[in-house]
Amino acid sequence: MNQSPRGTTADAPFSHLIEMLRPDLLRFALWLARDRAVAEDVVQETLIRAWKSREELKNPSAARPWLLTIVRREHARLYERKRLPTVDVDAVEALGDPALASDGDAGLHDLRSAIMQLADEYREPLVMQVLGGFSTAEIAAELKLTQPTVLTRLFRARNKLRVIYGLTPAEDAE
Amino acid sequence: MSAGSPDCAHARLQIGGDPQELPPEVAAHLATCAACTRFREETLALDGRLRAALELPLSEFRRKSQAPPVRRFALAASVALAVLLAGGFWVLKPRSALAGEVVAHVLEEGGSWDQTQLLPPAAVADVLRTAGVEFDASLPVVYAYACPFRGHRVPHFVVQTANGPMTVMLLAHEQVSKRTEFSEHGLHGELLPAGSGSVAVLMRTGDVPEDLAGKIVSAARW
Repeated sequence: MNQSPRGTTADAPFSHLIEMLRPDLLRFALWLARDRAVAEDVVQETLIRAWKSREELKNPSAARPWLLTIVRREHARLYERKRLPTVDVDAVEALGDPALASDGDAGLHDLRSAIMQLADEYREPLVMQVLGGFSTAEIAAELKLTQPTVLTRLFRARNKLRVIYGLTPAEDAE
Repeated sequence: MSAGSPDCAHARLQIGGDPQELPPEVAAHLATCAACTRFREETLALDGRLRAALELPLSEFRRKSQAPPVRRFALAASVALAVLLAGGFWVLKPRSALAGEVVAHVLEEGGSWDQTQLLPPAAVADVLRTAGVEFDASLPVVYAYACPFRGHRVPHFVVQTANGPMTVMLLAHEQVSKRTEFSEHGLHGELLPAGSGSVAVLMRTGDVPEDLAGKIVSAARW
């Protein structure tokens, strides 16, 4: 969707919110989907769904987590509905994308590649926490997992990334 | 680094799971365990890098996902022709990588130009606080967002001017040695040195008003 939904004057603040948050939604969807086309589909579906249920958003300051939650659900729904195959780590198309590069910062590029290659069960909660700002309890509720399970997945995700950052991983009683 | 006791193992799990929010028993453990304290400091540093890594430059993704080659050639030709017709001298101006990224970012948020409703000062202050930047200018701001840009949160404003909407980006982490004009995709802009950082201003129509650019630079503090 290249333009935000437009409606009455009363809808203008909502349109403004959507416009401001759209880059964040797309970025979040990209990390979940690891595929540009899928991410853009997810954001489009999200904006349609958000527009239809905009009355549910009582507090504009809660718009970001509300929309990010819709993104995550739409991403999950897309895979269920279209029965898309899960992305093979070795075939992550986004790994060759110039967006992973960073001017003069090879470490950042390596970190992006490493995050892209994390398995879904580790990448999803990590992206929700670090980029989305969700608490462990919120992630557990959203992913229908227990809090200790989420905590363990986040610990393991960071443990894998510590190596990329040149740090010794912590012991893991896996 | 290894966890020396069950307490340390528990602390590492909690820190690795969420280094920002630690339960009381782990906070108490840190007061007595230098190794776990160091582990937490490392994890917090890693999280800073993670945040920067996760904030992907969307403009690069957008560029790559454009139309197939034939359409891309047509688009490129029409853009080149438009640029030549608009004023050939702009073509000769060197374009910095920073200017290119600023333009790409502004194009990515093209809807920002369409905003007309003045934002309350509190909304502007909120964006500045998020980005850790001070800005005094009392300009009519119609769009404000702390955008991810080159690994940092950057205040991105659109202000109303007599010549139409003008984008202002306060780049606390980008230095430019001198005032640099650029023109790309129909946008005219300038990169201006501002203390230890810089300011980018862009307009769709006409040049950036000289007095306004100076006012913006003097109002920004990092």
